[in-house]
Amino acid sequence: MRRALLAMAVAASPIVAEADPLRLRGDALATTASPAGLLTLEASGQQTSNLSAEAVVWVAGQPTPGQDTRGDVLVIALKAKDKKGRASGTLGRFVASIGALRPVHVDGAGGRVHLPQRFDVEAYGGVPVVPGLATSRSWDWMFGSRLSRKLGDWGSAGVAYLQQRDDAQIATEEVGFDAGAAFGKADNAAAKLAYDLAGEGVAEVSFMATHKEGSLRTDVFAVHRSPSHILPATSLFSVLGDYASERAGGTLTWKAAPRLDLGADLGARRSGTEMGPLLVGRAKLKLDDRGRSALTGEVRRDGVGADEWTGLRGAARYALTNEFGVATELELVIPDEDRGLGRVWPWALAAVSWDRGDWHAAVAAEASASPTDVRRFDVLGTLGRSWGLK
Amino acid sequence: MTKRIVILAFLLVGACAGVLGLSKSQPQPFPHRAHVTKGVPCTRCHVGISEDDGSKLHIPDDTTCVECHQKPHDSRPCLGCHTTEGKLAELMEAREHLVFQHKAHFKEVKGNCARCHVGVAEGDTRMRPPMAACFKCHDQQAASNASRCDACHKDLEDSGTLPATHLAHDADWLSEHGLRAASSGELCQSCHKEAFCASCHGQTVAALPATMKFGNPFSPSVHRAGFASRHSLEAHSEPGTCTTCHQPERCATCHIAKGVAGDGRRSPHPPGWVGLTASENLHGREARRDPASCAACHDGGGQSLCIGCHKVGGVGGNPHPPGWSSRISLSSAPCRFCHPIGSRP
Repeated sequence: MRRALLAMAVAASPIVAEADPLRLRGDALATTASPAGLLTLEASGQQTSNLSAEAVVWVAGQPTPGQDTRGDVLVIALKAKDKKGRASGTLGRFVASIGALRPVHVDGAGGRVHLPQRFDVEAYGGVPVVPGLATSRSWDWMFGSRLSRKLGDWGSAGVAYLQQRDDAQIATEEVGFDAGAAFGKADNAAAKLAYDLAGEGVAEVSFMATHKEGSLRTDVFAVHRSPSHILPATSLFSVLGDYASERAGGTLTWKAAPRLDLGADLGARRSGTEMGPLLVGRAKLKLDDRGRSALTGEVRRDGVGADEWTGLRGAARYALTNEFGVATELELVIPDEDRGLGRVWPWALAAVSWDRGDWHAAVAAEASASPTDVRRFDVLGTLGRSWGLK
Repeated sequence: MTKRIVILAFLLVGACAGVLGLSKSQPQPFPHRAHVTKGVPCTRCHVGISEDDGSKLHIPDDTTCVECHQKPHDSRPCLGCHTTEGKLAELMEAREHLVFQHKAHFKEVKGNCARCHVGVAEGDTRMRPPMAACFKCHDQQAASNASRCDACHKDLEDSGTLPATHLAHDADWLSEHGLRAASSGELCQSCHKEAFCASCHGQTVAALPATMKFGNPFSPSVHRAGFASRHSLEAHSEPGTCTTCHQPERCATCHIAKGVAGDGRRSPHPPGWVGLTASENLHGREARRDPASCAACHDGGGQSLCIGCHKVGGVGGNPHPPGWSSRISLSSAPCRFCHPIGSRP
């Protein structure tokens, strides 16, 4: 017995040596808009290099819009992995995002195992998260899994399956395929496809390829999405069929000077029979090498059919001292058809922030005119403190 | 005309050279390469680095410089000008977030610092060894297969470290991260905690990062700035996008809470939404275009609302598109709303 205790003590000693301190962070947000007050508490700790935990909870002064709750848990998860990293697991509330399957917020467990021949298996299962600390729903559960294989040092491919049931009825049944590859240092590509098995149709296909040449990066992308196949299969609207929405184009990013980044998106959207442009021009100028002070500007032409719009956005941040900074942001949205809701929808914010060691504070004034408010003025304030961060 | 534009562009770039980071009048990187090529050993300035245990930075002070530069051209501290702004903070960040001791490596490379600090061969701007230099000796594949980034990196998310070998943090990360993460999810998790994904994709999000960090206009966010104004335009332009994170009923509950719909307020639908003839019925086409938008308000009461007309033998006719098929049993929702047990499909 004594020998066993001694062995346990010896085994535990490096654990203590490797342990990271408990980290805590608290942020309070007060606004004149709802929710008027919000307190977020975040904690994380690593007992050993193989065992860690984190939690994020919040309480609000009044129920958040769209949610009849004054407090909730965003994440509470315990994570463990074996010493060689061949297997890992998560228990608690977390967002499960695997392969081409849609990300889901789940109360349950998940894990991954590296198998021989460079195969990986990952899976999760549990109850879908709904706002509120308690749920009266029954027979709601979900399960997702993915089998993937690494392809040399240059890529991987995987196939995944998801089933979700609400009140024991199939709400989502989906199979996904994903692949990613890097061709040398300059080129890479990724693609994924999600197929709705419950409604039998493609839910989403997307593709992206990137080429880097010196300070110039070029991306091409294409996305096809079918809204009715993204809805829960228990929805009456999933039986109507739909017009797919599509987006395709390219993005250019150019580091024109050490402190100047320029970018442009050139593309098009299609929704049903309607086409629309997707044109963006953007520039960002850092005013110091670390980018603590910077300016940015963006022009956008977007939307489809009667919902086309033009947008202008400018933002600036200036570090007055090591501790104090000011920031401002302005956005103008000009819809092609105002429908009596205003020809220009401006939005502006001016903020002062303060950072000193573990403390952070900021206060801002926000003003806007939107389809719902002829004019609106809000004041925001935040105060945060960290403990245990190095 | 073209000539004038070219001249004007040159003048403009010249005038803005300092702002763009092109000017030589600003503090420059320390001339490491010049010292190395003149045969000055690294340890002559970086005193004690061969015994470094990871606790100090070993930055030389002015007394070290004046051992050779006996007549300084300026009375100010040498590193005030002979190093770029933020370099010291970068070194401190590396010291805090890397598991590294020079002492252990010094013997292995037999005092040849350039074996890791390969950037000195090209100039003075990239003195920190690239990760590729580590993998000359250390087994990258083993670390990668085991997802053990923390074998060398500490607190990756806090440090904001983005190794050059990693994908997709430049350009439009917001648009492409979902696609990249599909095949590289484990790579994302090696730096990001659970809360990172949940802060946007969670069903219990109280306030998005853009709201909590309103003082930083450069943080990427889907819902940034005047999103509340333009969200209906964006939702209509790419139907289904909102549903990838939000439950469909989110729209209705929020609109009711904000007082812009529901609760007996007038119908948001235009004239001609529902009529007796096909030309008077806009709702069918719009429902096919964006079914999630309809489901946002009607998925509860919609069952009685729609199937009053769209039932087997009803005046609304068959709502299914040509070639419709489904694996769902007729006795399950939503089929059973229109197809009672015993009715023909």
